[in-house]
Amino acid sequence: MNQQWPVAELDPVRRLRVIAATTPGVIYAEQHIPAPFGEVWAVASDLENELPRIVADVRTFTITASAGERLQARARSRLGLRARFDVVLRPGWCLMQSRFLFFGMAAVPEDGGTRFAGLGALRVPGARLLAPLDRLLLTQRLGYGAIDRLADRARSR
Amino acid sequence: MVPMAVSPEIDPGLVRAAQHGDRMAQGELMDALIPFLGRICGPIALQDGPDAVQEALIAIFRNLGQLRDPVAIFGWARAIAVREAVRVARQAARAIPGELADLPAPGDPQLAADIADVLSRLTPEHRAILVLRDLDGLGEREAGALLAIPAGTVRSRLLRARRAFRKAWGQ
Repeated sequence: MNQQWPVAELDPVRRLRVIAATTPGVIYAEQHIPAPFGEVWAVASDLENELPRIVADVRTFTITASAGERLQARARSRLGLRARFDVVLRPGWCLMQSRFLFFGMAAVPEDGGTRFAGLGALRVPGARLLAPLDRLLLTQRLGYGAIDRLADRARSR
Repeated sequence: MVPMAVSPEIDPGLVRAAQHGDRMAQGELMDALIPFLGRICGPIALQDGPDAVQEALIAIFRNLGQLRDPVAIFGWARAIAVREAVRVARQAARAIPGELADLPAPGDPQLAADIADVLSRLTPEHRAILVLRDLDGLGEREAGALLAIPAGTVRSRLLRARRAFRKAWGQ
């Protein structure tokens, strides 16, 4: 009988909302993209090719190791800064973390299109107090309209 | 004899990493917690179950630093999940307390949906008792402590909730 009891699920976008609500100094954006989930996630999950097109501060993003849904990557910024990222990537869900940065993406099908969410945070002591500065720095790094650029890429494929 | 409550096992190092701001660890911990929380919040908050799980997780991660013993995370999370599920269900104002007259007949073809249907005729508090006693196997004292009610009240609510189920399935 227990198997028939209702069990609540939590989709990836709701999961990312939880992380956004519990991460100091986070920037978070969520919007509907009028393109099918498969097309949107094909772009979002193509980290090596698409991150440099979508995220303003990323020049290259190279996967250096992978084991199932866990990856390691090396990123290089437009200013030449390098960082090693641990990545978890599965359909509709991606988290990546370096020593100083944390990013996340989530997507679910919605009304024939896709609900897409993204977040970023600096991993520094006192992030809660520095939240306004964090948000300014992160917005510059991600670039305004990152989700719009992702939507454009999904449509152009 | 009532079975003991069973909680999944967790790597204490994962909890400690999440406590220290490792967001990858938080993601992994969330993966481990969600099925457990969904099993508690689903029967209590019903159609608002996802809201309850989301609110429970936010409360859990906002207060994770207060958890002294990482091994105790599931017991700690259970208390938060029950509280949030009852709160969300109350807010939704969908609970219909009182008589249990219109229960579905035994052999209804939509048997899988019937449990949710029967549950929806109980108050969130009655649903919480059923989850804690019959699904999680907690004792009367433990369930009462989680819900801040005396053991006698646990017993009377449970009797009423079980009677509703027996009536629904003609047992």
